[in-house]
Amino acid sequence: MAQLTKIFKYTFLISVLFSTSISYSGGPWTQKKGEGYFKLSQYWLKYDQHYTDLGKIDPNVTTGIYNTSIYGEFGITNRFTTTLYLPFFSRNLTNNIISEATGELVEKGDAVNSIGDSDIGLKYSLTKPGAKYPVSVSLVLGIPLGKDVAGINNNLQTGDGEFNQILSVDAGTGFKISERIQSYASVNLGFNNRSNDFSEEIRYGLEYGVGFNEKLWLIARVFGVESLKNGPPSSSIVSTGIFANNTEYTSVGIEAAYYLKKRWGVSASITGAFRGEIIAAAPAYNVGVFFDMSK
Amino acid sequence: MKIFIQVLLFSVCISSCIKDDILADVIPASVRIVSSVDTLAKDSTFLLEAVYFNTGGKKEEVALEWTSSNSSVLSINSNGLISGQTFGTSEVTVSFGEISTSKTIVVDSTTSAQSLMKGGQVNTTSSYALFGNFTVDQVGTDLNMNFFSDYNASTALPGLYVYLTNNPNSNSGALEIGPVTTFSGAHSYTIPNVGINDYTYVLYFCKPFNVKVGHGAIN
Repeated sequence: MAQLTKIFKYTFLISVLFSTSISYSGGPWTQKKGEGYFKLSQYWLKYDQHYTDLGKIDPNVTTGIYNTSIYGEFGITNRFTTTLYLPFFSRNLTNNIISEATGELVEKGDAVNSIGDSDIGLKYSLTKPGAKYPVSVSLVLGIPLGKDVAGINNNLQTGDGEFNQILSVDAGTGFKISERIQSYASVNLGFNNRSNDFSEEIRYGLEYGVGFNEKLWLIARVFGVESLKNGPPSSSIVSTGIFANNTEYTSVGIEAAYYLKKRWGVSASITGAFRGEIIAAAPAYNVGVFFDMSK
Repeated sequence: MKIFIQVLLFSVCISSCIKDDILADVIPASVRIVSSVDTLAKDSTFLLEAVYFNTGGKKEEVALEWTSSNSSVLSINSNGLISGQTFGTSEVTVSFGEISTSKTIVVDSTTSAQSLMKGGQVNTTSSYALFGNFTVDQVGTDLNMNFFSDYNASTALPGLYVYLTNNPNSNSGALEIGPVTTFSGAHSYTIPNVGINDYTYVLYFCKPFNVKVGHGAIN
């Protein structure tokens, strides 16, 4: 189970699926006291189409967002774990638009670079460490450090300008498939209370991972956000972009994590929404290097 | 590990550069008569005006050629100046190469200006809701555009703007009327210093994302 606890930390990057400001809870497992897990990663999403409010796909000017971030977990006690997600470099851009008819520059591309919206969190294990079916609760606070309005057309962002408060519960279990193959499964259910008149959200996730020889882990995920749509429509909000209001989606993702050395490893993931509203319709990629103190 | 990080940073830097999107905005080039009369009084003159629009829907200065189908009724010179010779009907044609447009003008006892009212219907060309019938009419130097009660537009888009344009596929070169503030029901716009023949489309565009939402031809 301890191994599962470590491995699960590879999976946090669903947090930056589309809404880069909100971290996923990372399963029910907490770090042991004095141990931690840290990751430097690069996320990127480039899309030229999006899901409309009716769930259909329409084109848009090619837009990209790139986050270079640090993620960390550290065990304060065996039951309390603190988390931090800090995209210390976030870039949002739009392409130039060139007229096919005249070759003229119709709209100049634009970009903004800054720190992005960040998260700090605290997770508490409701069950004793090593429990067969661990359950934990988490509180994650999204800190709006990014820019919510930037660029010539005010259409660039590295944050949504609002203060997320996500309360979630996680449950899971780990089991052996064979002597060399381990496995785990977990579920997540959360509520995101948002400020600045943004609609509240219900978040949910399912995750299943398989480990081979304690070296390679393959992980599959389903993650979703359902908006309560109790905020104003996008037409009345200045903020735009991937942080638009009343966003909904359900995504699937896969990730591979591999230990290169005892404590060091690399991971790569791809995630994409198969349904959504007011959200990018393109896969998001993530690669990173992690350091696992618990090994 | 070091190589991995270097390759990663290099590839991300390359992919995060601003590149070009090509906008499919090619439309047929056209010539439009923007100032005319329906009837011209015998023995009087009127200067017709026409504009050439390129395949991007933008005005372009070119040498236009004017002709009259019946010069004995209505004569015309190379600048578009027409003269009523005798009572009757003639078709005036203005052309640039293969591109031309025509208008029938009656020579009568009095001169009457062309109609100063048009209308149309906007429809969505996207997955966002947009519909509405409208009229435009010239009042002095202003253009009044009135939408009927059947008008409806999606509130899901940030930054929905309305334009007058000659190219329904682009807001480049279009006249920006302003952000959409009415999303259902009758409403109107007064657009100063615009002629009724200056633009041929009403265009709805999500300005921040350069997403076309819909348009309506002004007929």
